[in-house]
Amino acid sequence: MTDYNALTDDAFRAELRAFFEANYPRHLRFLPRRMRWHECRDWYLALSKKGWLAPHWPPEHGGMGLTPGKLIIYFEETERAGIGRMPDQGLTMVGPTIIRFGNDAQRRKFLPPIIAGEHIWCQGYSEPNAGSDLASLQTSAVLEGDEFVINGSKIWTSMAHDATHIYVLVRTARQAKKQEGISFVLVDMKTPGITVRPIRNIAGHEEFCQVFFDNVRTPRANLVGELNAGWTIAKGLLGFERLNIGSPRRPLQALEQIEVLARARQLGDNPAFVERLTELKLDLADLGSLYARYVDKVRRGEALGPDVSMLKIWATETYQRLSELLIEAAGEYGAFEGEIPVGDASVDILSPFYTSRPGTIYGGSNEIQRNILAKYVLKLPG
Amino acid sequence: MTNFAHPSEHAALLAESVADFVRRGTTVARARTLREAGAECDRAQWRGLAELGWLGVLVPERFGGMGLGITEAAIVAQGLARGLVPEPFTATAVLATSILAGADNEAFMAEKLPQIVAGKLLPAVAWQERAGELDPGAIDAVAVAFEGGFRLSGVKHFIAGAVDADAFLVSARHAGDLALFWVPRDSAGARLTQQRLADGRSSGTLGLTDVMVAREGMIASPAVARAALAQALDRAAVVAGAELVGVMGRALELSLDYMRTRVQFGKPIGSFQALQHRAVDLYLQQELATAVLAEAVHALDSGLDGAPRAALASRTKARASEAALRITREAIQLHGAIGFTDDCDVGLYTKRALVLSAWLGNATAHRRRYARIAAQPGGAHD
Repeated sequence: MTDYNALTDDAFRAELRAFFEANYPRHLRFLPRRMRWHECRDWYLALSKKGWLAPHWPPEHGGMGLTPGKLIIYFEETERAGIGRMPDQGLTMVGPTIIRFGNDAQRRKFLPPIIAGEHIWCQGYSEPNAGSDLASLQTSAVLEGDEFVINGSKIWTSMAHDATHIYVLVRTARQAKKQEGISFVLVDMKTPGITVRPIRNIAGHEEFCQVFFDNVRTPRANLVGELNAGWTIAKGLLGFERLNIGSPRRPLQALEQIEVLARARQLGDNPAFVERLTELKLDLADLGSLYARYVDKVRRGEALGPDVSMLKIWATETYQRLSELLIEAAGEYGAFEGEIPVGDASVDILSPFYTSRPGTIYGGSNEIQRNILAKYVLKLPG
Repeated sequence: MTNFAHPSEHAALLAESVADFVRRGTTVARARTLREAGAECDRAQWRGLAELGWLGVLVPERFGGMGLGITEAAIVAQGLARGLVPEPFTATAVLATSILAGADNEAFMAEKLPQIVAGKLLPAVAWQERAGELDPGAIDAVAVAFEGGFRLSGVKHFIAGAVDADAFLVSARHAGDLALFWVPRDSAGARLTQQRLADGRSSGTLGLTDVMVAREGMIASPAVARAALAQALDRAAVVAGAELVGVMGRALELSLDYMRTRVQFGKPIGSFQALQHRAVDLYLQQELATAVLAEAVHALDSGLDGAPRAALASRTKARASEAALRITREAIQLHGAIGFTDDCDVGLYTKRALVLSAWLGNATAHRRRYARIAAQPGGAHD
């Protein structure tokens, strides 16, 4: 097995670049939406075969075990090649959670199928009446013998229509404190009683869904961590999620599109544009420095504290600012639907505008993140 | 609280000694006294800094220094700035010593550096001629050779630490190339004027009319002068960034303390969400500046050179300047009317932020430099 961390940065970058260029399907480059499983299955499996699917997982579980510096190169090259986002909840969310909070049986049962592309995961957190106030969730799981029986519904579940499995936060006890009766369970989507209804989003894509649970039975062995301790795990996972949302990868993509457009429209001669672009470039480069700090923490095995919320705030808001500059830079084309031809390339002006909207809402809205930082990091009074 | 990402034990100890120096010197009160007198360097305090070895933090051991890195220089600068120490640490112990140590006049180094380290000789660097111009080569001052040495003519602006300087390190064109010269304060033909800065310190202007410098007074020949000055300026920009991080850190602490204790409408004002979110956004700026600074000191100590070094130094100074100005401005707002009084320390921090932000290139100047470097092939891949 190759120790990628032993390669020089340049050699590692060259190896990634060559493989991505040669193997990532051309028609999926810079896709203005998340990829569906049927589109990206071959790519997922190609990465898996190469051993490059899980750059941040430890090698013993099939990951590349990259150091932070190498991980950032991996993301940069992914971005450069215009590689789209796959249904990656298994890789980015549930995998790391099972590695950290699960038991050995769960690691053996659930990690290899993620790497093999046999299990595709989605996340069951939000409910119609539990959004920002996630801890008020009502989907219930009642123990009957060796099984939980689940009733309720989850919403804003991304890619549920492609998923084979879902990890769910369920209410297993009605405690005085709403956070204390929540558990984290794994459910096979083929289980009878599950219904998935896709929801069309503002960009016209069906990426998220509502998932209904009607007497759905899942084994007790699928409980991750202790009973009623799911909130702590979810918060740990949200740490991962905030790290993932905090990646400079997607804003970098928007920046690249702005640069394509700027070259074609010769905006380099416009000082107001250049100043604004440079400000945003620095916002993004500084995001990289902040991100590297947290990736480094994760790699050292340190838990991410509540301060990681600021990474999410800065990444998602920088992404939105970039998406807005792209529209401004396009002038009259700023309202055109779909791809417009720009020089030798084509750019979808509105796509980053749409795709950057949910980032400040999901995973705890940025207002919630600011509340968290004020309370737990700045220790301001309640 | 130290602002470095992963302080080694050694770094934490150093930060603690700096904090102790600031406490013993009651420096905030002293800064108030000195500004009335129009002075900025208390020679007893300067000797104190020398005794702790900090004036020689970057100076090689063979010249009596500690031979440490930018990491340590930044820790000292950040701690001194937290206490509003008025003495010109960065201008002398970083900018001037880096030029001398990077120069090619070995005999001169051997004579002057130990005296600087001991606090007996205080040089200031006179390199800049125009506001907003960060290219050390963009100067008009000339050094014309004659039998015994050189005759220097020109006007240098924005000289930090000029009030107490015993001598100046002056850049001038010599046969078309850049060279550096040692000009004692009392040299015939040298006129020093001072203008008062916001924090009570001064900016020096040095006029030179046929100032005679002996041949051995050329401290850096054209072979090395430009590189030595460029490196010293990048180092100083990063360490000034550390000072700004110290200033913003203390201003934010003062504001958060005030928010926890000031009661209006029957509650601490820090319980109001409008103020909490504002404080979080300031904290975020501080952490961005801290993350960039950490990356920069590490990179400079690892030998980063050329355009990538310049880009990273500019990124550090730009972010630190903007963040410090914003945090100190908003600190006034968060304090309400009391924040607008001279008695309140936040005003002192605001003024120090104004001075440090403007020095060695403000945020706009450094963003422009960053943009220029990034536009070159292989430029700013930091």
